[in-house]
Amino acid sequence: MGRLVLKKVSRKFNGFLATENMDFEVADGEFVCLLGPSGCGKTTILRIAAGLISPDEGEIFLDGKKIVGVNKECGVVFQEYALFPWRTTKGNIMFGPEVKGMPKEECERISRHYIDLVGLAGFEKLYPHELSGGMKQRVGIARAYANNPKLLLMDEPFGALDAQTRNIMQAELLRIWEKEHVSVLFVTHSVDEAVYLADRIVVMTARPGTVKEIFEVDLPRPRVRTSPEANVIRDRVLRSLGTEIQMAMR
Amino acid sequence: MKIDSERKGLAINILSLFCFLLLWHALVMMARNDIFNIPFMRLRDIPTPIETWYALLGSMFTKTYGPALTYGIADHTRASLLRVVEGGIIAFIVGVPVGIGVGYSKLLGNILNPIIEIVRNMPPMAWIPLAIFILVAGGSIFIVFIGMVFPIILNTVHGVKSTDSRLIDAAKTLGASESKIVTLVVIPSAFPSIMTGLRIGLGVGWMAIVAAEMVIRSPVGLGYFIWNMGDLGRYAEMVAGMIVIGVIGYVMNISILVLQKRFIRWVD
Repeated sequence: MGRLVLKKVSRKFNGFLATENMDFEVADGEFVCLLGPSGCGKTTILRIAAGLISPDEGEIFLDGKKIVGVNKECGVVFQEYALFPWRTTKGNIMFGPEVKGMPKEECERISRHYIDLVGLAGFEKLYPHELSGGMKQRVGIARAYANNPKLLLMDEPFGALDAQTRNIMQAELLRIWEKEHVSVLFVTHSVDEAVYLADRIVVMTARPGTVKEIFEVDLPRPRVRTSPEANVIRDRVLRSLGTEIQMAMR
Repeated sequence: MKIDSERKGLAINILSLFCFLLLWHALVMMARNDIFNIPFMRLRDIPTPIETWYALLGSMFTKTYGPALTYGIADHTRASLLRVVEGGIIAFIVGVPVGIGVGYSKLLGNILNPIIEIVRNMPPMAWIPLAIFILVAGGSIFIVFIGMVFPIILNTVHGVKSTDSRLIDAAKTLGASESKIVTLVVIPSAFPSIMTGLRIGLGVGWMAIVAAEMVIRSPVGLGYFIWNMGDLGRYAEMVAGMIVIGVIGYVMNISILVLQKRFIRWVD
């Protein structure tokens, strides 16, 4: 389960509309990328889906249940990691199970499982400042998964990483996603990233952001980044996005 | 390379301290031999470093002169430290929760801020008359409390307010309740600031206790000791007491810094 539906969602910020009439859905187990020019309200949509802010208009549902207040059935992965600096790798991953009051052995078991899943074995006792950017984001992903979410919300999670690490992390994310099969809503401004990762790409307009076009990426995984099919989709998405970027720059 | 420059630094530190003592000695000796004196200052009455050192050794421990008992610097130090510790514990128990409340809750901030802002601008010394005339018992502990509680409150507020909002968001989406957010996110995040508040507070508390003991005239305490020695014209003992005060303040500051480093390993 994990079907996210947005119905005519609008949200104002400081008097101007950040996002208007957003209408799309993430099907159960689907990987959707939200792509748009900067300032179009991608992050706003993500925060609304997480229940961290509420929409001014419109409604949002997870598995048919309207989201009111913080959505505790989703896991959020933040761009700047947002790890608890005073907790070790293991402590960060255990945070969710711990605050839910799970017994200690259960917390241990869950953290063990996700530490292994994201490839952090041997790094359990290190603090975030002792980890590289890629490692930190592995912790972020494991922490979100450890909370057993129906939906994973990712806000440009690899934006702060160098190109090499970024490619590795994208492949890692797909490997984890295929194992756990949680729906993903992934915000990015990189067309390459979206084409490599997504089942569907939602392209947004410039501010106020709304859905401009939705692309199906019907390519088998693992995808070859430079395959002709990928290039065709990349071209179409870029063209759709290009006019919006010009609008945003104006 | 690094060790070399560190060693060099330490050597300069020691040399500088030695030069200071030398200058002190020279000034006093020149005044005593009428070679040089600063007008209107009785430099000749200042004890030399060596006299101070012997005074320190001589007055370190309690002595009896016939029927009279004289407390040693060790006793005075113990008494002053005890007051600072007692006042400090109370200030910590009061200051940290108040700081967390004011920093975290807008309402509580609005209620308490005007009071805090006025009261914290009354120096601890301004409270001494109140302590003497009204409180009587525990007056000096109260002065320490006043000196320490505001640095602790203000630094706790600062720590709470500078909690990264993304960490709070992360905790919320991970299912943390409001109270768990405070105990598991806000307090750990504010902890380094709270320690800084404690460190600054100890400095203020230590200054306040010395002043309070002079005025309150507690029969034992370093402030009382240096005032009394000055009164009796035993300047070497007086200066020895002053140096003990400085060294203890320095040691307290360093100890908190060391504790902070040891317990807060997660700060880069």
